[in-house]
Amino acid sequence: MWGYQRRLARDLERWSKAGWVSAETADMIRADVARTPGLSLPGVLAMLASILLGFAVMSFVAAHWEEIPRLARLGLLFALLWTGYLAAAFFEARDMRIFRDAAIVAALAVFGATIMLISQMFHIDGNPPDGILMWWIGALGAGVILRSNPALAFAMVLVCVWSGVWMSERSGTHWPFLIGWVLVTAAFAWQRWWPGAHLSALALAGFVVSLGYTLTQGHAHVVPVVAGLSCALLAAAVEKRHDMVSDSARILIIYASAAAFAGLLALQFIEHTSARELAGLAAATLLLLLALIWHGLESRNRGALWLGYVAFSIEIFALYVKTVGTLLDTSLFFLIAGLILAGLAAFAWRLHKRQLHEVTA
Amino acid sequence: MIGKPASRLFLGLAVLVAALQSAALAYIVVARDRLLKTGREVVLSVTPVDPRDLFRGDYVTLGYDITRISGDALAPRGDVPEGIERGGTFYAVLSLDAASNTWSVARVSADYPRGVGADEVVIKGRARAIYTTPATRQEAGTATLLGRYGIESYFVPEGTGRALEEKVRSHSIKAVVAVGADGTAALKGLIVDGERRDLPAIF
Repeated sequence: MWGYQRRLARDLERWSKAGWVSAETADMIRADVARTPGLSLPGVLAMLASILLGFAVMSFVAAHWEEIPRLARLGLLFALLWTGYLAAAFFEARDMRIFRDAAIVAALAVFGATIMLISQMFHIDGNPPDGILMWWIGALGAGVILRSNPALAFAMVLVCVWSGVWMSERSGTHWPFLIGWVLVTAAFAWQRWWPGAHLSALALAGFVVSLGYTLTQGHAHVVPVVAGLSCALLAAAVEKRHDMVSDSARILIIYASAAAFAGLLALQFIEHTSARELAGLAAATLLLLLALIWHGLESRNRGALWLGYVAFSIEIFALYVKTVGTLLDTSLFFLIAGLILAGLAAFAWRLHKRQLHEVTA
Repeated sequence: MIGKPASRLFLGLAVLVAALQSAALAYIVVARDRLLKTGREVVLSVTPVDPRDLFRGDYVTLGYDITRISGDALAPRGDVPEGIERGGTFYAVLSLDAASNTWSVARVSADYPRGVGADEVVIKGRARAIYTTPATRQEAGTATLLGRYGIESYFVPEGTGRALEEKVRSHSIKAVVAVGADGTAALKGLIVDGERRDLPAIF
């Protein structure tokens, strides 16, 4: 958001100097951009404050302080819960959106702490995921009814924690994750909240990668590779055809590629592979990453570009660590990879120059 | 801009959310309270748990004689009955041993058992693990079902767990458990050195 504002301010100045945009229009555009809500210092501080308050309440519960009777402790948390939601209404009436959302998130933290307190009071050892299930349903409900995006984001994080705790307790795939994911993602879509799409894509990519470790006794890393690649290819195919889905497709490409890369890393460095298999997989991975970088440049997808660079570095580093010992081989590998890249760079430069030529001609 | 009616609507919605969440929380409290007051009382002996696992943070892990189910309870074939899966629920029928005045597992099943005697209690559990020791030439392998009944954590005030941990290890603790009609169990109190201490009631 800030980057966009800065860039726009610079461009507007240039455009008005060139006489393409009148001074009035430039002012109107500036005013419009300033009105759109974004991050602000008070907002960020309020959000952080609500997170700290939430932790304070949870540690208070964990301390199990006996000086206060149990019913009083419970009453205190109920009072805090109501205070949170009433404070949200107070801020809403004064049109202070970010404070309103911070109050809702704080109330949701109290809701979770109360679930913890009740299980502590009655020594319920039950299934920890059940408590978190109740928590994310509460967060999702509050997010939908009060139309609060941060509450929905909180719900998505809790859905992930829910699955994480479930999987840490037993082996196997936690398919109910998908129910929670679909519900929260639908709420994001209904709210038309863009950062939520990123969160959803990230959560789903994480789940798909985890499938590699939970299906077929933990040797299913082909699943994220195939799912990620086909998803990324599909997204790349529709990206240019439909304007409507273009934005979602661009996000999808990034996260699907990341999932596929995580699967490829596991195939290469976690599974036992022969030297020949490793070489084949490494070559395929590097080529796919080059394709991703090329696509990022071509379609001006900065996220894809960065993912390509970072993943390329990780891949090279992992290969280095794995093959270290036979330094001559390692050296040969990097020599060949370097030469190929240099050749590709020269080819790309030619292409770029020709395109430039066509545009100016 | 947002006018009065919109913010009044939001106030109503905020109250609705707070009321729904409060009601959900209150429901658990009331249901638990009812279970403790009306559930059938069962006394179980507490067994020492692996000391490394015994005391974690601010609660004591209680192990029970009924946690590890094998042998006669899995009769007639000594196998874990079909339908009981790791991570899934099962039902154990407890019967009273008059001599020691404690309850032990008579049989287990995947569904709520029928034909339960008046002197028996059904408790619902979750199968934490199912395993079979490998068969040797002398004897067949024995199956074991590790159950979890939701009564294994005893929360204590910060820093007071050590003394209780010692008592558990010296085997002088029994647990008083309330069991509801559907098999749900709740920890009601502890009998330490023969002296019964009930947890204070909430209402």
